[in-house]
Amino acid sequence: MVIDVHAHPVLFGPICTDPERVKFRKQAFGLYKSSPISMEQVMAVMDHAGLDKAVLLAEDYSASMGQPIVSNEEIRLIMDTIPDRFIGFASVDPRQEGAEERLERAFKELKLAGLKLNLSHLQMEPSDARLKPLYACCVKHDKPVMFHSGFSWEPDSPSKYGRPILYEDVAVEYPELRFCLSHLGWPWVDELVMLLLKYPNVYTDTATVFMDSPKNYYEQIFMKNMAPGWLQNNLMDKVMYGSNLPRFRQVRTKTGLESLSLRPDVMRKILGDNAKVYLGMEVRGYAY
Amino acid sequence: MLIKSYTHEIASRQEFEMVKITDRVKEAVAESGIQNGLVFVISLHTTTAIMINESLPCVEKDIETTLERLVPTDGDYIHTHMLPSYGTCSGNAPGHLKSMLCGNHCVLPVADGKMACGSAQDIYFVEFDGLKVRKYTIQVMGE
Repeated sequence: MVIDVHAHPVLFGPICTDPERVKFRKQAFGLYKSSPISMEQVMAVMDHAGLDKAVLLAEDYSASMGQPIVSNEEIRLIMDTIPDRFIGFASVDPRQEGAEERLERAFKELKLAGLKLNLSHLQMEPSDARLKPLYACCVKHDKPVMFHSGFSWEPDSPSKYGRPILYEDVAVEYPELRFCLSHLGWPWVDELVMLLLKYPNVYTDTATVFMDSPKNYYEQIFMKNMAPGWLQNNLMDKVMYGSNLPRFRQVRTKTGLESLSLRPDVMRKILGDNAKVYLGMEVRGYAY
Repeated sequence: MLIKSYTHEIASRQEFEMVKITDRVKEAVAESGIQNGLVFVISLHTTTAIMINESLPCVEKDIETTLERLVPTDGDYIHTHMLPSYGTCSGNAPGHLKSMLCGNHCVLPVADGKMACGSAQDIYFVEFDGLKVRKYTIQVMGE
């Protein structure tokens, strides 16, 4: 099974019926010239890329923006439109009262599968006390967290809050909390590698092509910034395929990854098997 | 002089796709009521083309492979970077270059209320950067 663990449904048709919401979303997410797309088109693009499922991420910074970019209910709506192809992640704004209750509802009533947090957007460190009830809620419900990590493209989102080393305290304090430091933590790739090596509960995804083509970018990160053996022999259980749709195209990022000279078993893990463990769909049958 | 315009949508289902639109152009000419003049078919995009050629699978395949040889998909291009105005990554330089080679429009005469074309001529909307929803305009001008 091929799973894209990092997709933003910001302009998916079913949630783009209100022109004012679309205008707000495009501005807030920095997708100025892009347009809404139908679910028929979304499915055609996924099928063309050979993807079985995609994780759709909600984005809620209501305390500063007045409304979510994509709400938990909107994620549920998309999932209901095309059953079985999407896995929904919730988002709540920890600066607002009742965030924990909204997360509980997202897990229990909306059946969402994890929590998305972009601490660059929230301008908050991962050790902030307001986040701890959310971490505890995820542990209680056995749900993973997807942290934005590294460089942030969005407006008013300082990248310093995405620096991987800041998340070590969370890995230590919440060993049962599976979390992904997305976008390979670029440009702090070495810090990310250290955390992946040390903490069984820390993952990353490939939703990062900030320069160059996916093929050349992944070659640079996985074969030059890292030595060729690092991914295959050390990090093979920790890296998941993510496209960062719509910033990068699913078929191009997947083809870029597949162009790396990796063993088939490692490629299979990256394209889906690691995601199953991260998402709680499977338990890894071994420990090192 | 009369001018009549018709805009159509195409949802491409491949990264490269040749969609025959000859009948749609003929219909537009008939609907316009214009007896003598010109019909323009114009793509509204920068990584597509409007092309006249012969509708044979072998010719279509030769067009695709020759364009790919001239402008390889995995070649090195400058237009491969984040575009702040889109908030997305570019990476479709081959589409832009193939579009430049093939052109964004075609023109045919209208005579006695019909589009005048040779028996081997078909009109294609050509996608170089699918999968996307695309638009093209048919404009009929004359009397």
